[in-house]
Amino acid sequence: MTRKVAIYGKGGIGKSTTTQNTAAALAHFHGKNIFIHGCDPKADSTRLILGGQMQETVMDSLRIYGAEKVTVEKVVRTGFKGIRCVESGGPEPGVGCAGRGVITAIDLMEENEAYTDDLDFIFFDVLGDVVCGGFAMPIRDGKAQEVYIVASGEMMAIYAANNICKGLVKYAKQSGVRLGGIICNSRNVDGEREFLEEFTAAIGTQMIHFVPRDNIVQKAEFNKKTVTEFDDSVNQAHEYKKLAQNIIDNQMFVIPKPLTMDELEKMVVKYGLCD
Amino acid sequence: MSSETTSSEAMSSETCEIEACESKFCQLKAKERIGTINPIFTCQPAGAQFVSIGIKDCIGIVHGGQGCVMFVRLLISQHLKESFELASSSVHEDGAVFGATGRVEQGIDVLLERYPHVRVIPIITTCSTEIIGDDCDGVVNKLEEELLPVKYGDRDVHLLVIKTPSFVGSMVSGYDIAVRDFVKKFARKTEPNGKLNLITGWVNPGDVKELKHLLAEMDIDATVLFEIEDFDSPVMPDGSAVSHGNTTIEDLQDTANALGTIALNRYEGGKAAQFLQKKFKLPTIIGPTPIGIRNTDTFLRNLKEMTGKPIPPSLVKERGIAIDALADLTHMFLADKKVAIYGNPDLVIGLAEFCLDLEMKPVLLLLGDDNSSYGDDPRIKAIQDGVDYPMEIVTNADFWELERRIKDGEIELDLILGHSKGRFVSIDYSIPMVRVGFPTYDRAGMYRHPVVGYGGATWLAEQMANALFTDMEYKKNKEWLLNVW
Repeated sequence: MTRKVAIYGKGGIGKSTTTQNTAAALAHFHGKNIFIHGCDPKADSTRLILGGQMQETVMDSLRIYGAEKVTVEKVVRTGFKGIRCVESGGPEPGVGCAGRGVITAIDLMEENEAYTDDLDFIFFDVLGDVVCGGFAMPIRDGKAQEVYIVASGEMMAIYAANNICKGLVKYAKQSGVRLGGIICNSRNVDGEREFLEEFTAAIGTQMIHFVPRDNIVQKAEFNKKTVTEFDDSVNQAHEYKKLAQNIIDNQMFVIPKPLTMDELEKMVVKYGLCD
Repeated sequence: MSSETTSSEAMSSETCEIEACESKFCQLKAKERIGTINPIFTCQPAGAQFVSIGIKDCIGIVHGGQGCVMFVRLLISQHLKESFELASSSVHEDGAVFGATGRVEQGIDVLLERYPHVRVIPIITTCSTEIIGDDCDGVVNKLEEELLPVKYGDRDVHLLVIKTPSFVGSMVSGYDIAVRDFVKKFARKTEPNGKLNLITGWVNPGDVKELKHLLAEMDIDATVLFEIEDFDSPVMPDGSAVSHGNTTIEDLQDTANALGTIALNRYEGGKAAQFLQKKFKLPTIIGPTPIGIRNTDTFLRNLKEMTGKPIPPSLVKERGIAIDALADLTHMFLADKKVAIYGNPDLVIGLAEFCLDLEMKPVLLLLGDDNSSYGDDPRIKAIQDGVDYPMEIVTNADFWELERRIKDGEIELDLILGHSKGRFVSIDYSIPMVRVGFPTYDRAGMYRHPVVGYGGATWLAEQMANALFTDMEYKKNKEWLLNVW
């Protein structure tokens, strides 16, 4: 049974980095069969797995050859540990409709049966917030059933996470999607772990793992690699291994209860982040 | 914009390479001009709406602006000269900003309340609601859990979503998708029913009648998708006149239990046939569109192969009558006549094949959408390989492609075959035209006459001949010939 997972979170929080490192850990340490569908128009959600940016996205292929000629062979690339990758691609900033790009790309992949039954995990790495209907595509009926939100102890990251939960509540009823937890991608801010633990408890979910900050992640990124591929013996690789294990073992899937603005503000003040 | 231009150039140059090595005389190419002047097709939701009216106790709700129903319904109404029901979620500015699924939910409730007989409601999406990403599958899940059991628990109501963004494909692909989605929704394996699935494609009531006649002559029991014969509907002594499709949910469910599927049209129903083949392992034949003697022969042979039933003498006789009628016309009047044909791809290809068999010269085939797989169609390849005079096949075509060639003297036509939207070209350039396809609203009763089967072949050839005869008379062009025929 393939588990379909969508990763959301504030822009710049490290969704793609976390997704790829988790995917690499799942494949390398746990022997899982993985597919990553990058849903960001920038098409940079799979470069660490592929060792460089994807050359042709689904949208490129659609534009050049037409929908009937888009095939799995044209747009799916295989990288580290057999992880299969596809990038939706999309318009340049400021033009067109990126949301529509996400819808079209996922539809095309389903039509071409790219998400095969032998997969253990499919990750949808989605751009930023659930800003419109298009970016909610990965959590619609029959698609991702579980969502992880990447956040840190920074105020705006928590705001974004809370907002994403509002979107999730809407879809939880009609598509059955559930929140699997919050991944803390640490920014080394004060009281980060405690803040996130209180926040996750308040919205009825869990912090599935606290990923500490480590420069090895950046170093590996410069080398177009995930940490696991770069050096699987370092501590950070084991942190991702642990995160992967927690996701494999996860049993806690909830409809979140997002906080009101007042509640959220109070929590922020409590942890002194408004100083 | 610049990147768009580049990619379309890349496409057309790619097509050029293909055609260069394949045919000396016949080019298959996409329209080079950006933009469309007088389109040949309307958009995907139109095809889905035509399918939905073929189903009994079904009212489609089109999720989009009102025009997506209003104009399509008018077009179908003009064509069939009948009235029928289609609904709209009537999306306005607020729906576009805030999401408009609420309007679908309300709309379905209203439909069910107002029409107690309704059993199926397809939600047909359009460009606006696809762009804003309204989750209609989610709406169906929600209504199936709440509204249907709570308020309509005593009724058997089915909802499905047909995704037909208008900026993808054309009314032809919309038809194809809708047939597949209806079949996918309902087909259920139970007991083999010994019947044949016949998926007709986008045809007229008259075509369905002719096809059912052929099936009856061969003693074949079939599920015909879709039973639209009754759109040629009677006014009864009590004044009642009801026109609706007669394919039932049970018919659709039973498609899974058939002994096989024949889909006559590759681009209108082919997807449904492939679905049944894959999911239920049904023997499947796609094509040919049985227009003309040759294609009808093949169709009957396919029927025989799939059911084991022999072709009866009655059909051999019918074929003979058709051949005799054609022989009277072909060499004397139809031979070498230059024809332009436009419309739905299966129809255009079928007509072109028939014209070639009648010694006519189709010089221009216009397909109104940009389906990139036309180049892989064996029938198009065969036409390209077979012709020994200049012929053009233009995809993504509009009426300007036809008109400009006539205006500039690039082609000289004796006849135009196509639907009523091209009538102005015929009128402006005094070229006789036979109305065929969808929509045909400027001649009486066109929906009643089949173009398929032996009967259709005879009718088509005679229509073409009569159009040429009238033209000879009006233009005083050897009209005396008809005195001695």
